Amino acid sequence: MRRKKMQKMRIILRPARLAVLALLLLAVSCGREKDVPDLCATNPQLPGCQVQCVVNSPVLKCPAGSHCDADGTCSVSCVRGDERCGSGTCTAEGRCVESSLLFDILDFPATKWAILILALVMPLASILTWMERRQSAMMQDRLGPNRANIGPIKLKGILHFVADAVKMIFKEDFIPANVHKGLFALAPILAIAPVFIAFAIIPFGPTIYPHALTETIDPYLASAGGDLFRDSIRLQIWQTDFGLIFYFAILTLANYGGTIAGWASYNKWALLGGLRSSSQMMSYEVAMGLSLMGAFLVVGSLEPGLIVAQGATTEMSPANPLNWLFLWQPVGLLLFFTAAIAETKRAPFDIPEGEPEIIGYFVEYSGLRWGLFFLAEFIEIVFISAVITTVFFGGYQVPFLETDGFHGFGMALPLPHVVVVLLQILAFGAKTFLLCWFQLMIRWTLPRFRADQLMNLGWKLLLPLSLANVMVTALIKLLFIKPGGAP
Amino acid sequence: MSHGHDHDHAPVATGPKVLAVHAKYADGRPRVRTVQVVRPQAEDTSFLAATAKGLGITLKHFARNLFFPMKKLATRAEAGAPAEEKWKNEIETVQYPEEKVTYPERFRGLHRLTLRDDGAVRCVACMCCPTVCPAHCITIIPEESGDAGIEKRPAQFEIDELRCVVCGLCVEACPCDAIRMDTGEHARPVEDRANAIETKASMMARGIRSTATQGGEGPNWRDGQVEGGASAEPGAHH
Repeated sequence: MRRKKMQKMRIILRPARLAVLALLLLAVSCGREKDVPDLCATNPQLPGCQVQCVVNSPVLKCPAGSHCDADGTCSVSCVRGDERCGSGTCTAEGRCVESSLLFDILDFPATKWAILILALVMPLASILTWMERRQSAMMQDRLGPNRANIGPIKLKGILHFVADAVKMIFKEDFIPANVHKGLFALAPILAIAPVFIAFAIIPFGPTIYPHALTETIDPYLASAGGDLFRDSIRLQIWQTDFGLIFYFAILTLANYGGTIAGWASYNKWALLGGLRSSSQMMSYEVAMGLSLMGAFLVVGSLEPGLIVAQGATTEMSPANPLNWLFLWQPVGLLLFFTAAIAETKRAPFDIPEGEPEIIGYFVEYSGLRWGLFFLAEFIEIVFISAVITTVFFGGYQVPFLETDGFHGFGMALPLPHVVVVLLQILAFGAKTFLLCWFQLMIRWTLPRFRADQLMNLGWKLLLPLSLANVMVTALIKLLFIKPGGAP
Repeated sequence: MSHGHDHDHAPVATGPKVLAVHAKYADGRPRVRTVQVVRPQAEDTSFLAATAKGLGITLKHFARNLFFPMKKLATRAEAGAPAEEKWKNEIETVQYPEEKVTYPERFRGLHRLTLRDDGAVRCVACMCCPTVCPAHCITIIPEESGDAGIEKRPAQFEIDELRCVVCGLCVEACPCDAIRMDTGEHARPVEDRANAIETKASMMARGIRSTATQGGEGPNWRDGQVEGGASAEPGAHH
């Protein structure tokens, strides 16, 4: 009897042991990198030793407030707020630039946010509402909605999302008796706002040099600065070293929307849905975070912009598909994808809103308030696709397209900057769209899990596997990657 | 999963395996038992193979329906038509207002009032059809026809298509082949209930001449009848 108990304990402790091992390995691998003797102190003639930085390198970069000159030294021309620039302004890299109101506005985070949301996210999410029905129909040998039209413009029924929006706006906004009015009104906003905020970390395009649009850009020259490359616009709203952590933190808040909706609705089914949604989030958040740790170990950064700009290793161009993380972290990709679908609360993980059992946390909502929950779900699909694109599929990178044109297979095709930028933004959109499509495929292929199957999958399979993934990645890095070399 | 676990699945078919019986009823039936529960193995709970298989099936349907054109209308619409057409998709939908299927010969559609040879209404306002109508949807107001041989005709003949249950009893009851439902048309969607009422004019507009002889003029169907042959074909139907 006692022995059996011990065995049971051992099985329970297995994930914990894995975690401890993984952490130990992490510590060892990190520690070893620090123990590298400073070769440059003894051999200053070695290549790479004379320079403080390399222009445009995401790794050998200058500290904040300074920029890298072409001779490999970090220099500070100005500090924000001082007089050294005269009529110009000082950039974050400590460089004087002629200020231009237009480009200042374009480089303003709110502007970029508005452009990203209005030009990419909302159209994609809206079209998804139609695509979900049309695609599911085609998978089931039906036609699906194909009739909505404005006069003769039919577009295979894409305009159904306009009809849906108009319908939801003009429907009665019914608030049942006994609901908590404040929280009831707050919940849909809480569900949708965090997703919008989380988009801040996604790099949806390369850095644009507005004065050099027609030129073919030498990447090293661009980073050295100069008149042609001033007013650069980075197509990422917020660049921060803890980008992916930020996304975990913010997207978790979205779950409060569902939970509070369930709580405020004064309805048993809604409350059950809210509880299920919280329990599901708690179970899958762990595996989701851990499954990205492998990618973090490979790249050495949680900054999505850097993951895209560098790829898995600095030995290859980031535009080389071999350098994209789906080849380096296939298990991580699979685990993250599964956990992310659970996070969006869609089939097969849609027990919080399982229609035949409980309608879900938004059972008491109608009209546009319900529409917000609906839209939040689709924006989450877009967001998850954008994250997977960014981390695992090279973000905005087009295969073999460098800043100055196509390179590869012994050939080169120089392209002007504007074409490169457009191609790369398009590539980001296309990859995101394809992943959205794949999520819809999964949603209409798999039936819903039972609650216990859901928990089993999350705790007994995804979590140990993601721990093992971290461990194996750390081991490989520890054994096979030269310390101090490419991360 | 690909590797078979036949020994794992075997107990499921015969029920849980009884490990021990702790207590029994007086008649010997087991009361408290310890049974072995077969839990799914890790490779069964990963759902990976099943997911891949399912995705393959749905992807096949999706791709086929997305890239291939639709089947011919006849193949989609007709029951018993061969289901498989090469290089065509599998969607069976008939897009109604643009595409219409031919209805069966005996499909009961909108009513029509048949006409006499001179174009007058054939109905003699005998009131058989409003009497037999289970939905009370037929209203006839009769008037004198002015023809001594015919006596009556409907001044108004209205059918409320919203109340009509399309049972066809009116057609069966009519002694003069004056009302028929062989137009092959649906009751139309209307935005006002009043528009759903078929009038004498609208039903005569759909009217055709009856092939039945009328008023004793012309050849009588009895004329060709063989003595005692009750099964002779009535001329009214051809």
